Amino acid sequence: MSPPRDFSTRPRPGRFSRAQRALLLGGTAAFLLAAWTVGDDWGELRAARARLAQARAEAEAVRTRVRELQGRGGPEQTLARQAVLTADAAPPRVLAELAQLLPGDVRLEAVSLSYGEQVEVELRVAARHPGSFDLFLDRLQRSPAFAEALPGDEDRRGDMRATIRARYRASRS
Amino acid sequence: MRSRYVVAFDASGVAGAALARGLGAPRVRALAHVGLAPGALWPSPFEANVRRPEEVKDALREVARALPLGDAGVCLVLPDGVARLVDLDVPADTSAAAFARYRMAPALPYPPEEAVIDVLPLGRGRVLAAAVRRSVLEGYEAAAAEAGLAQDRVDLAPLGALAALGRREPAGLLTVDLVLGDAAVSLAARAGGTVRVFRNRRRDRSAGEGRRLRAEAERTAALAGEAAAGCIRVVGAGALALVRELQAAGVPAEAGWRVQGEGVAAGGAELAWLGSAMA
Repeated sequence: MSPPRDFSTRPRPGRFSRAQRALLLGGTAAFLLAAWTVGDDWGELRAARARLAQARAEAEAVRTRVRELQGRGGPEQTLARQAVLTADAAPPRVLAELAQLLPGDVRLEAVSLSYGEQVEVELRVAARHPGSFDLFLDRLQRSPAFAEALPGDEDRRGDMRATIRARYRASRS
Repeated sequence: MRSRYVVAFDASGVAGAALARGLGAPRVRALAHVGLAPGALWPSPFEANVRRPEEVKDALREVARALPLGDAGVCLVLPDGVARLVDLDVPADTSAAAFARYRMAPALPYPPEEAVIDVLPLGRGRVLAAAVRRSVLEGYEAAAAEAGLAQDRVDLAPLGALAALGRREPAGLLTVDLVLGDAAVSLAARAGGTVRVFRNRRRDRSAGEGRRLRAEAERTAALAGEAAAGCIRVVGAGALALVRELQAAGVPAEAGWRVQGEGVAAGGAELAWLGSAMA
């Protein structure tokens, strides 16, 4: 559409009335505010997307690394298994399971955990009565948390002392 | 943005209208007309037109009160007879206004730097170029300013009327449009979406004017390459009487437009200057 003809000899003093100018200014201000708000929101959205992408990339990298380690034989596979066991069979969890099995007059003098292909547990146990030790050994062998519980050296003179080897079943659940 | 208010000058008086612009055709909300005594204003391309400024300013103030204008911007519409009008074919990739100045400047009877030139597109690369002497324009602008009107723009009645008529061109007919001012008349033959021929004449309102205008319309049609006009449309001062006379003589003629609105007589066909607000 062509502009309207104008034969005015002077430039127009003002094409808009006061009300129109106020509306124009208000509209411009609203537009700028909206643009600024949208820009700010877009900035936050972009930052959140970047953080999400970074977290996904890191998770994918860990998964890839674990798959690589699991796919290889030898020490690296062991390392991968150890990494899994360390999370699934943390020492506090193993000790908590053992504590549930202990009779009142039996105490653990030493606990050794070996993380390899499996979690090997070696216990040095002191019991006031040999019967209490036998009870603990029986509970250990029946416990679903442990397997292959084997008694080692025993000294049944006075307070009884003995060693037990067992395997902790890390991935029962 | 088109003015919602127009104030028009002619020898017989000052008139104004307030138009409501909607999605459809414009509607006249208010109309005012104040007559001028003979000689207070006379359209001329060379001399000062506002010959008795106080009378013209009083009429402007009265129109402003009647509408009412307030401080709204107003389109001032100058009458036919103040401009030199020429239809031109503008070369492609050329500014129409610059080309009009180039073509019109050598033929103006006053220094070219005194001319204010603008154009009305006519379709298909053609324009109607108008040159108005600056001193003539300043006379109208000063009267309006001193009467308290806020000038938005200045238009010419024949250009506004032809622009409005161009929006309603009958299909398949050679149409001759007559725009009647108090002092001059413009004729345009249009067909196929363009104005083929434009002519501008001083008006002689003595006895037999209808017959003379009919002959002018026939000449305009002939210059456009047709034996007769398929339709003659008339707007401006005396339009209804001319239409009746032409129809009585068997000539296909009609009023150029019908405008709705408060106090608008005969569809506004006698008010050629309304075209500046409608186009």
